[in-house]
Amino acid sequence: MRANVWSGRNTVQVENVPDPKILNERDAIVKITSTAICGSDLHLYDGYIPTMKKGDILGHEFMGEVVETGKGVSNLKEGDRVVVPFPIACGNCWACRHELFSVCENSNPNSGLAEKMFGHSTCGIFGYSHLTGGYAGGQAEYARVPFADVGPIKVEDDLTDEQVLFLSDIFPTGYMGAEFCEITGGECIAVFGAGPVGQFAIASAVMLGAERVIAIDHVDYRLEMARNKAGATDTINFDEDPDVVEQLKVLTGGRGPDAVIDAVGMESVSGHAPLQAIERVKQASRQETDRGAALRDAILACRPGGIVSVIGVYGGLMDKFPMGALMNKGLSIKTGQCHVHRYMKPLYEHVKQGHIDPSFVVTHRLDLGEAPNGFETFKHKQDECVKVVLKP
Amino acid sequence: MTENSTAGWPRPIDSILHGATDYTAGVTLTTVFPRLANIDGTSAARQIRIAGAIHAGYSTLTDYPLGVVKAIPYKAHLALDAIGALALAATPFVTGQFRRGRDQWVPHVALCAFELASLALSDPTGKGDYKADVEAVRRANMEDPARKVHERGLAVTPGAAATNGGAATAAVS
Repeated sequence: MRANVWSGRNTVQVENVPDPKILNERDAIVKITSTAICGSDLHLYDGYIPTMKKGDILGHEFMGEVVETGKGVSNLKEGDRVVVPFPIACGNCWACRHELFSVCENSNPNSGLAEKMFGHSTCGIFGYSHLTGGYAGGQAEYARVPFADVGPIKVEDDLTDEQVLFLSDIFPTGYMGAEFCEITGGECIAVFGAGPVGQFAIASAVMLGAERVIAIDHVDYRLEMARNKAGATDTINFDEDPDVVEQLKVLTGGRGPDAVIDAVGMESVSGHAPLQAIERVKQASRQETDRGAALRDAILACRPGGIVSVIGVYGGLMDKFPMGALMNKGLSIKTGQCHVHRYMKPLYEHVKQGHIDPSFVVTHRLDLGEAPNGFETFKHKQDECVKVVLKP
Repeated sequence: MTENSTAGWPRPIDSILHGATDYTAGVTLTTVFPRLANIDGTSAARQIRIAGAIHAGYSTLTDYPLGVVKAIPYKAHLALDAIGALALAATPFVTGQFRRGRDQWVPHVALCAFELASLALSDPTGKGDYKADVEAVRRANMEDPARKVHERGLAVTPGAAATNGGAATAAVS
């Protein structure tokens, strides 16, 4: 089969690789009909998540048709159309029984390695380095889905792939980020990052009843999408004025937003060029793993007693974490890799009922063979790229 | 295709990293470098300090992310880098100081080599390692990015999740 494989820093290529096989009775094989490039794939592409090996198949956002199931999978059958969540979760451990699927205790065989890097292991994740189990990803024609009796949900209506594909990751991730903000109606929520996850965090905050949603980025067309499609009421382009904290205070009567969502993560960009240069050099020379411009500003801007929701991916240690502001403002931090399984069905219902059309983020639909160009276009934000969907 | 992809070798240094290198080199040359090279107090040290100061000076005037007054185009900055490096290497031979010993010309030539190597790895577009064929992407794309980005019309119903019982219900139903 064809698959998009990692072949070095800033290099992916589409190669012919062996087809996946059932290895465990709880496995299923899915023939992939749509798969996407995620912003967190760029952390692998840029070389900031270690333990990638040449030939590793990328991709953790995918859906398709079941073509084979193991003996232990009774809920799926050949021909079922399914969306596969990016976390691989056993469904039986303490974490899974408490709906904390992204910290499943059984699905990551390399959890010791992940603990050394991340400080704590995540569950297994498709196509996301050997730190998360070394599972083959979904940017391919077929994928093996472990614990298929727990993860995939069936799509049994005529919604398009693009309307349900993002239930695999970015829609639940954005929704969880908004849900962390404890929106009851009328709040002001700031969202750092207007990439795909940021767009869904904005849309989710709007769905949950926030009165004002402020989108922060330095890419104009992404801010425009946030206003036009996701429902942001205000936008801040920090290339025009790098003092985001001050601008957020001005927009909120001097107090700060009720909650701030960091949908950026470890490769954040500062509008202050010298600070950005220092952090890039530190990260490139492995003096820190995570650049912290967005998270620092989120903490500094949030109103006293507010909530900082962190859904951008971080992988280790960050310098100059403003612990004093966090403590003395009495902020709460809520974070985590998304427990996707928990959100898939309720969000699927929202899609079915027409409350949201997740396909709004898709700016590029390409053949799988174009994956290398897709990665570059997405990474460098060319051609007004927000989200790339690949068709195997 | 971008210029870096036609060079035949990877050019991973984008304009931000190039700028960081400029300022680091400028500060180092004007401060500790002469002492480290054991040439402090000589004309060689004075030349290298001047070169460092000029380098940092036109960096502040360059149109790149770390520039202060963005007056000099990035490509012109790169040309100045090359000219400056070659001029620095030539100086000991023009003045004749190379006859006074290796320490009077080796630092100049080494700095020139460093600068030229840095230039060879710098992407003149400023985009770093960008290597996609955007035109090929446009031809292959089955979507219309302009329509998706610029066309007005919310893709979400405000309050739809709140009216369904709010976050907690939506998450566990």
